[in-house]
This record gives sequence, structure tokens and C-alpha cells, in this order.
Amino acid sequence: MLRRGKDRASVLVNFDVDRSAVEAARRDPRAFEALYRKYVAQVYNFALYELRNPHAAEDLTAQVFTRALAGLPGFREQSAPPGSSFRVWLFQICRNAVSNERRRARRHPDSPLDLALEIASTDDVQAAAVERDQLERAWQAIGQLPDERRQALVLRFVEEMSTREIGEVLGRSEGATRVLIHRALQAVARQLGRGSDAPRH
Amino acid sequence: MHPDTDDAAVQADAYIDSLLIGHARSPVAMAGDAGGGPLGGQPGVRDAIRLLEKGLPRFHPSFLFEQWLADHLRRQADPGGDGESSGRIVPIAVIRAQGAADARHPDKRLLVGGAIASGVSIAGAAMFAWRRSRN
Repeated sequence: MLRRGKDRASVLVNFDVDRSAVEAARRDPRAFEALYRKYVAQVYNFALYELRNPHAAEDLTAQVFTRALAGLPGFREQSAPPGSSFRVWLFQICRNAVSNERRRARRHPDSPLDLALEIASTDDVQAAAVERDQLERAWQAIGQLPDERRQALVLRFVEEMSTREIGEVLGRSEGATRVLIHRALQAVARQLGRGSDAPRH
Repeated sequence: MHPDTDDAAVQADAYIDSLLIGHARSPVAMAGDAGGGPLGGQPGVRDAIRLLEKGLPRFHPSFLFEQWLADHLRRQADPGGDGESSGRIVPIAVIRAQGAADARHPDKRLLVGGAIASGVSIAGAAMFAWRRSRN
């Protein structure tokens, strides 16, 4: 359903990008595969950043899509277009599954993901060293953040979600999410020794 | 919320948007300038944004896992069916989609099943996975 926008342009772009695929999957669950193919890498990505273990990330990815397929009849669009209500819902399931997994395993990821540091070999040794250093610093920076701040940064930088979408996943307003991300960035800046431009929170 | 905090957060958010769409010097990014380039008033936050934008790689599950889960979901969706892949070269389609996303960030690493791979080796892995699923 198109939403009435302030001008014609907004009418043209204001639609939920997954609506037709979701409706098709509701009519015929076999059509769910299109949604799975579209989002499997994103869900796996988020799971891997949170759990920092490829096998655990695969297990969690399987859980998320199994639950999503089973829960699709009860799914209702929640967020305002543009974007995807389905993606927000999928990441809400994923985030809950991560919390459950953490409670079950009673542990928090505490070390950088070694596999991420296995930079592909390159002829340019100096460039490889710079890349490795960059990756290590980024991993360490987000690894030391509280859960919600880390998740917000991963959704923003890796999944490339909008602040509004992230707010919907986290159950926060867009403004509160923007401030949450900013504070997370300030924390990263302090870890990099560049925290003098912002007040502590 | 302190207005300064709100403004700084809005500027940082606009800067992230501009980086993610590949136009770090766009008018949106420049709106956050207070001298000295984008986010000139928040050099620490700007450096953090640049590090995370470039330094956090994307991961992709292994294609064997992806296909296994697809078959599992197919069986769940259609309990009466055989749940087997029909032989469509689906992983290749996935690679194209992923490649398209990465084209926006050619300097961003993509890791397949935990191994960093180039576009060529990703295609090779997909073909290998597809052939195995057919054998």
C-alpha cells in the first residue's frame, strides 16, 4: 500500500520493499526461499559478530529462519516504509535468539575473532599490515562495547541499516538510537585515544 | 537530551550515511563541517566512523551451509515434497547479489564461511558447492 507523502516523489518511494515477497510466502510457504536467500548472509553476519564463532552463528541462523518461517502467518508490518518490516522483524528474532544463546552458554564473547584476522595474502606486505592493524583495532573497539551499543554499530556499519530501522530492531525511537550510536562512537574514539572532542557519557 | 548532543549525533549520522552511499564529500556530509573537513568539530568521532566503515568486514556463510538450510526450510515449508534442490544454480544468483553490494565498497573484505575470499574464489566455492550438491 502506498503511503500519502508530501510530494509525488515520496509517494513513489514509500513502499515496503519485501511486501510482495512476504505476501507470496504467506500464500505459499515454499516462496519463503526468496526471503531466505535475500537475508541469510545478513543474519549470519550479525550472529557471527555477536557470537564470534562460525558454528554457533550457523546454528543461530538456522534457528532464526526456522522461527521466521513458522511465525510468518502471525507477522504484521510494524514499521513505516521505505525499508523492510520483514527485515526488522527478522533481526528482532535474531537479537532475541542471541540473548537466549548467551544465557544458555553463560558466556560473553571475550576475544577477537581470529578468523577475521586471517587477512588474505597479498604481494603488498605493507598494505596487508595496515589492513590487519585496521581490522584488529575495529574488532577490539566494538568488542569492548556494551551489547546494545555494539549491536547498533554492527547494524549500522555492516548491515548498513538506517537509524530508524535500527531503532525498530532495538525497540528505541530514531532519536534515541542516533544518540546511542553517537555515544558508542565516542567510546570507540576514546579507545583510539581520540576522545577529547566529546563529553563522556 | 542536551541540544549539543542531539546536533552532534545528527551530524555524525549524516556523515555515516554519506560514507555508506560512497559520497563522503556530499552536501549532507559537509553540513556537519565545523572546519577541517567532514565532522571537523568531532575529529575523534570522525576517525571512529572511518575506522569502522573500512575495518569491519562482511561475512558470508559457507555455501554448503546455505544450501543445507535452504533444503531444511524447503522441507519445513512443504512436508509432502522431497525437500531436495531442483538443481537450479541458486548460489550463483546469491553471489551476484553479494557482488552487487560489494561493488559499492570495493575495499571492504568479504569472508565466506570464515575465509576471506576474492570474487573469483567465491564463484569457485559456489560452483564447488553446487557440484557437490548434485553428486
